Amino acid sequence: MIDPSWVSGLAAILFTLGLWGAFHRKNAIVVLMCIELMLNAVNLQFVAAATHWGDVTGWVYAIFAVAIAASEVAIGLAIFLSIYGQQETISLDEVNLLKH
Amino acid sequence: MSGSGIIEYAVLIPLMPILAFPVILFLGKMFNGTPSWVKNVKEGGLIALTVMGAVLILSILLIKENLHHGSADHIFNWLTSSWWDSDTGAIQKKVFGVGIYIDHLTVMLLFVASFLCFLINVFSIGYMNTDPINDNRNHRFYAEFVLFCSGMLGMVLADSFLWLFIFWEIMGLCSYLLIGFYYERPSAAYAAKKAFLTTRVGDVFLVIGLVMLWNLFDGHLDYSYVFNPENIQAVDQGALQIALGMMFVGAVGKSAQFPLHVWLPDAMEGPTPVSALIHAATMVNAGLYLVARMFPFFAEAELGALSDVAIIIAIIGGITAVMAALIAFVQMDLKKVLAYSTMSQLAYIFTGLGSALWLANNGYDDLAKFAMGASLFHLFNHAMAKGMLFMASGSVIHEMHHAHHEVAHHDDHDDDHFDAQSMENMGGLASRMPITATAMLVGSMSIIGIPFIGGFWSKEGIISSAWQVALKEPIFIFPALLILIGAGMTGFYMSRMWFMTFAGKPKTEVAEHVHEQTPWIPIPLVTLTFMTLFAIVLAFMHSGHWLGDFDNGHYTSDLVHGAADEMHHVFANDDPFLLLLTYVAIGLSLVLGPSLAMALYGGRLDEGQKAKPWIQWAINLSSKVRRSSHFDNSAWAESSFAKSLHKRLHFDDWYDAAMMKIVVGFANLSALFDSKIIDGAIKGIESSSQGASRKIRLLTTGSARDYIMMAALGTLAIFLMLWGVA
Amino acid sequence: MSSNSVIDLKGKEFLLIGGLTVSVALLAAFFPDLGSNGEGAVDWISIPLVGFPIITAGIMLAFASQENRSRRKMLSSPVRLATFVFSLIPLAISTALFFDWLIAVNWDLSYNEYALESQYAWIDSIGVSWHVGMDGLSFPMVWLTTFLVPVTILTTWDEKDGATYHPLLLMMGGALIGVFVSLDLFLFYVFWELTLIPMFFLILKWGGKDRRYASQKFFIYTFCASVIMLLGLITLYFMIPEGSGEGYGTITGRTFDMKAILSYAAAENLGDGVFLGMGMQQVLFWMLMLGFLVKLPAVPFHTWLPDAHVQAPTGGSMLLAGVMLKMGAYGMLRLPVALFPDALIEFQDWVMIIGLVSLVWGSVVCLGQTNLKRMVAYSSVSHMGVILLGIASMQPLGYDAALFMMFAHGIISPMLFAVCGSFKHHYHSMEIGSMRGMAKFSPYLAVYMMFGWMASLGLPLLAGFVAELMIMIAYWPVYGWWILLPGFVLAVTAAYYLWSMQRTIFEGGDEGQPPESMLGETPPDISLHENIGMFILAVFTVIFGIFPFIALGMMGDWSTAFFEGVFKLGGI
Repeated sequence: MIDPSWVSGLAAILFTLGLWGAFHRKNAIVVLMCIELMLNAVNLQFVAAATHWGDVTGWVYAIFAVAIAASEVAIGLAIFLSIYGQQETISLDEVNLLKH
Repeated sequence: MSGSGIIEYAVLIPLMPILAFPVILFLGKMFNGTPSWVKNVKEGGLIALTVMGAVLILSILLIKENLHHGSADHIFNWLTSSWWDSDTGAIQKKVFGVGIYIDHLTVMLLFVASFLCFLINVFSIGYMNTDPINDNRNHRFYAEFVLFCSGMLGMVLADSFLWLFIFWEIMGLCSYLLIGFYYERPSAAYAAKKAFLTTRVGDVFLVIGLVMLWNLFDGHLDYSYVFNPENIQAVDQGALQIALGMMFVGAVGKSAQFPLHVWLPDAMEGPTPVSALIHAATMVNAGLYLVARMFPFFAEAELGALSDVAIIIAIIGGITAVMAALIAFVQMDLKKVLAYSTMSQLAYIFTGLGSALWLANNGYDDLAKFAMGASLFHLFNHAMAKGMLFMASGSVIHEMHHAHHEVAHHDDHDDDHFDAQSMENMGGLASRMPITATAMLVGSMSIIGIPFIGGFWSKEGIISSAWQVALKEPIFIFPALLILIGAGMTGFYMSRMWFMTFAGKPKTEVAEHVHEQTPWIPIPLVTLTFMTLFAIVLAFMHSGHWLGDFDNGHYTSDLVHGAADEMHHVFANDDPFLLLLTYVAIGLSLVLGPSLAMALYGGRLDEGQKAKPWIQWAINLSSKVRRSSHFDNSAWAESSFAKSLHKRLHFDDWYDAAMMKIVVGFANLSALFDSKIIDGAIKGIESSSQGASRKIRLLTTGSARDYIMMAALGTLAIFLMLWGVA
Repeated sequence: MSSNSVIDLKGKEFLLIGGLTVSVALLAAFFPDLGSNGEGAVDWISIPLVGFPIITAGIMLAFASQENRSRRKMLSSPVRLATFVFSLIPLAISTALFFDWLIAVNWDLSYNEYALESQYAWIDSIGVSWHVGMDGLSFPMVWLTTFLVPVTILTTWDEKDGATYHPLLLMMGGALIGVFVSLDLFLFYVFWELTLIPMFFLILKWGGKDRRYASQKFFIYTFCASVIMLLGLITLYFMIPEGSGEGYGTITGRTFDMKAILSYAAAENLGDGVFLGMGMQQVLFWMLMLGFLVKLPAVPFHTWLPDAHVQAPTGGSMLLAGVMLKMGAYGMLRLPVALFPDALIEFQDWVMIIGLVSLVWGSVVCLGQTNLKRMVAYSSVSHMGVILLGIASMQPLGYDAALFMMFAHGIISPMLFAVCGSFKHHYHSMEIGSMRGMAKFSPYLAVYMMFGWMASLGLPLLAGFVAELMIMIAYWPVYGWWILLPGFVLAVTAAYYLWSMQRTIFEGGDEGQPPESMLGETPPDISLHENIGMFILAVFTVIFGIFPFIALGMMGDWSTAFFEGVFKLGGI
C-alpha cells in the first residue's frame, strides 16, 4: 500500500505543472492539454482519497470530471478551430477578443 | 345671537355671484359675438346686473332685520383636524367652520359693498360695452367683476378670520385679473403683478397673524369665540399684540398704506369700473374692515396692553395721509389723482381707527365708540364719494375718447399718443358734461370736507378723536398733526383736479368736442350724488355714535334732536381746544387749500358756454381768485422735491431695484449654485466612478492566460481564507 | 396599405387585445382562489387595482413591441383606446370603494389596521407573503393614482407611438398602486423598483434632447438610494427576533410582513421602551429616510428631478410629479416615522431643517429659472418640503397637512406639467421670455396656466391652500418665528409664478409675440384632449379646495389613530 501522501504529492506536482503550462505556453492546444493535466491531477487525488476512505463518492466525482473534461476538450477544440478559421493563428498572445 | 329668518339666506349673498362667475364665463365663451349676446345680454352685463340686484335686495332685507341686533349662523364644518396637547397628552378635535356673522360693522360694509357693486355694474354696462377695444371680451370682465363682488361680500359676512382671509385672497386674485384685463399691454401686466405681489406680502403677515391668533385662542378663529371677553383676557396680552400687529400688516397691503402703497396708483391700468370697484366698494375697504374687526380685542384686553399697535396704526395712517396728498399735488392723470386721494383718505380712516382702538384699550369707552363711528362713517362717505368720483372720471375719460375719435376722424390725422386721462388735455368741461361735473363737485366737496356735506362730519370726527388721544398720549400728536395738515392738502389737490378738468378754457381741441352721450353712465352718478348729500341725514341721525356702538347705541330717529347734538358737538364743543381745532381744520380744508387751487388753476369757461347754476358759482369764484392773486408756483414746480414727487418719492424705483437686483439676483445665483455645486457634486461622483471603472478595466487584457492566472490566484486566496477561518 | 387592411387590423387586433385583457380581468376578479382572500370576501385590491393594469399593459406592450414601426402606428389608436378604457376600471373600483358602492368599508381604523386586507402565501421560506391592504394613508394615494392615469392618458392622447406609450402609463399606474397597498416589505420593495422601469422607458423613448442622460440619472440616482433603503429593510428583517412573525406565513419565524413588524415595533416602543435601542433606531431611521428623501426629493438630493422632468414626456412628468414623488412621503410615514418615533424626536429639528431648506431653496431657485418646466419641477421640490415640515411638527394637524399636501399637489402638479407640455407641444419652446402675449393665440392654455399657477401658489378655495394653511398652523407652535421663512416662500412662490405668466401669456401688444420656434406660424390653441384633461384636473382642484373634508376626513382619522398608536402609546 502506497502512503496517500505520496499520491497527494504526485497530484500536487502534476497540478502545478499543468498550471505552469497553462500560464506560459502560447499554443492554445498545449494550454488545453495543461488544463487536462490539472483535471487529471485532481482526479488522481479523488481516486486516491476514495480508496483510502473506502467511500465511492470520490470515484463518482472522478468519473464526473472525466466526462466533463471530455466535453470541455470537444468544445475547446471546436472553438480553437473556429478561431483558427478566422484569425489563422491559435497563439494566445495574439488572440485577445475578450478584451472587447 | 341666533340663526333664524333671513340670515339663513344670507349665504346666498356671496354664493350667487360666485356661481354667476362660471355661468357668465361659459355662456360668454359659447355665444361670444352673436348679436343677441351683445345687444340683449350686454355680453353678460345683464346677467351680472341681475345677480347684483338680487344681492342688493337680499342685503337690504338682511340689513333691515339686523339693524338693531346682530346674529350668527353656523353652516357647516369646513375642516376638522386634531391637535395633540403635549402637556395633557390629549388629542383634541379642532374645527374650522363656515358661517355668517352679522353685527354693525357687517351691516355697514354690506350695504356699501352691495350698493356700490350694483351701481358700478350699471356704470360698466355703459362704459365697457360702448368701447370697441372691449369687444368680445366683456364676458370676462363681468365674470371677474361678480367674483370680485362675491369676495368682498363673503369677507364681510364671514364668521371667522379664516374665511375673512379666504375671501380676502379671492379679492386679491380678482384685482390681479381685472387690473390685468388688458393683458396685452405690458404696463397692465406689470401693474397686475405688482398689485398681487405687494398685497401678497401683506397677506403673508396676515396669515402669520392668524396662525398666532389660532394658537393663542386654543384653535379658534371664529368671532364668537375670539371676541368673548373672558377668552380675550385669558390669553397672553403681549403675544396678542404681536398677532394683531401682524394682521395689521395685511391690512396695510390691502388698503395700500405706507410702505405697501405702491400698487394702488398702478392699479389704474384696469378699466375705470375696476378702479371704482377697487377704490370704493371692495378691495381697499377690506383692510379697513379687518382693522375695525379687531375692535373687541382692544375693548376687552387689559388696559393699555395693546396700545402700541393702535399707535402704529395711527402713525402709518398719518404718514400715508400726508405722503399720498403730496404726491397727488403733481399728478396730471385724472385717475391717479383720485388714486392718491383714496390712499390719503384711507389713511384718515386708519388714523381714526387707531384712535378708536387706543381709546378702547385705555378705557375711554364713549370716546372710543365715537371715534369708531366717525371712522366707519368716513368709510361710508369716502366709499360713496370715491365711487362716484371714479365713475365720473370714467365718464370724462370715456367721452374724451369719443371726442378724440371724432376729432381724429374729422381732421384725418390719427394721433395715437393722445392721453385721454391727462388733465392737461381737458379743461372747461363743466358746461359740456353737466351731470358729471355736478357729481365730481359734490364728490370732491365730500372728500375735502366742506361743511354740511357728508365727508365733513366724519372727517371732523376723526380729527377730533385723534386729538383727543393726543391730549392723553403725547406720541399721538404726530399722526394727529399730520392729518390736520392733510386736511388742507386734500382741499388743494381735490380742488385742483376739479378746476383743471372742468373750469377754464378747453386746453385741447378734443376737449371742445366732449359731450355727455353714453347711456347707463348717468344713473349711478345721479344716485350717488344724492347719496352723498343724503349723508347729512345720517349724520343728524347721530351715525357717529350708532355705527360705533352697536349693542346699546344712541341711534335716534329724532332728526331735530340728533342734528342739534351733532351741531353742538362740531361747532360749539364744550372743550375749547377741540372747538379751536374744528375751526382750524375747516379753515385749512375750506379756505386755504381750495383758494390756492383756484389761484393756480381756476378760470372762466369759453365765451357762450354756461354751466348749471349750482356749478357756475365755483367757476366764477375761481376766476375771481385767480385774477386777484397772480400766484406763481413755477419755482416750486421746478424744485427737486417736486421732481421726486413726480417720481412718487422713489418708492417704486427702490422696490423695483430691490426686487430685480437683490431678490432676482440672488435667485439667479442660487440657480447657478444649484446646477453647478449641488448637481455638480452628483456629476462629480458620476464622473469619478466612471474614471475608476475605466482604470479597473485595464485589468482585462483579453489574454486568456491572464484570466487563468487570475482564477488561480483567486482560488489560492480563497484557500488561504478558508484555512484562516478553520 | 389599403384602407381594407386598416379596418382589418383595427378589428382583429383590437378584438385580440381587448379579449385577452378582459378575460384576464374576469378570470382574476371572479375566480374564487385568485380573487378572494380565503375568507370568502372578494379581494378588491390585488387583481383589480394592481394586477389588472400591470397584466393588461404587459400584454399590450408585449404585443405591440413585436410589430414594426408602421404597424405600431396603426395599432396606436386601438391600443390607446383600450388603455384608456382599462384605466377607467381601477378608477371606478377605487371610487366605488370610497363611496361604499361595492361593499361597506370601514375607514375609521385604529393604528396598524387595514381595510380590504388580503394575504396569500408567496415565499414562505424567508417569510414573504403577498399581503395587501389600505388605510387612510394609502387610500387617498391609491385613488389619486387611479384618477391620474386616465386623465394623463387623455391629456397626452396624441403622443407619438401610442401603442407602447399609453400601456406604459397604465403599467406605471399599477406599479404605483402596488407601492401604496403593499403590506409586506419585500413586496413593497418590488413595486418600489418596478415603478422605475416604465418611467425609465418613458423618459428614454419619448424624452427630449438629453433623454439618455436624464433617464439614466433618474434611474441610477433613485436606485442607489433605494438600495440603501433595502439594506435598512434587510437589517430590520434580521433585527426582529425569530418567531415574532408567527401567523404571517413564515417558516423560519422571521418575516418581511409590514403589519407584523409595525405591531412588534409598537409593542417595543410602548411606554419608555425603545424598539431596537436608540443607536440602532437612529441608524435605521436615516437609512430608510435616505431612500425616501431622494424620492421626495429633498434638497440636496433633488437634482435628478429637474433633469428628469425637463426631458420626460408630458405624461411621464404628470405621473412622476403627481404620484411618484409621493411615494417618498408615503414611505416616510409608513416606515421610519412609525417604526422609530424616538429617533424622529431625536432628529425632529433636522427633519424640519431639511424640509425648510427644500422649501426655501426650491422656491428661490425657481425664481432664477428660464425654462418653464424646470421652474415647475423646482416648485415641486419646494412643495414637497412642506411634507417634511408636517412630519417634523409632530402634530396630527401637521400630519393631516402633509397628507393633504400629497393629495392636493398630486392633482395640481399634473396640471402644471400638462400646461408645460402644451407649451412644448404647440410652441416648441418652454423658454420663459421667448414669447409674449400667448393668451391672445391660446386663450384656453392661458386660462389653464393661470388656474394651475394660482392653485399652486396656494389661492384659497383651491386644493393647495388647505395644506399650506394647516402647515402654517402646525408650524408656529413648534418652531415659532422660523415661520417667517415659510411666509417668505409664500411670497416668493407668488413672485415666480406671476413673473413667468407676465413673460409668457401676457404683454406682447395687440399683435402678440410668438416664440421664434414657431417659425412665423400662428401658434395654435390646445387640442380638445388636452383641454378635457386639464379641465378635469381643474374641476377636482376646485372640488377639493372647497370641500377638503371629502379627503381630509379619512386622513384625519388616520393621523389621529397614528398618534394614538405611535406617539402617545410610545410615551412621548
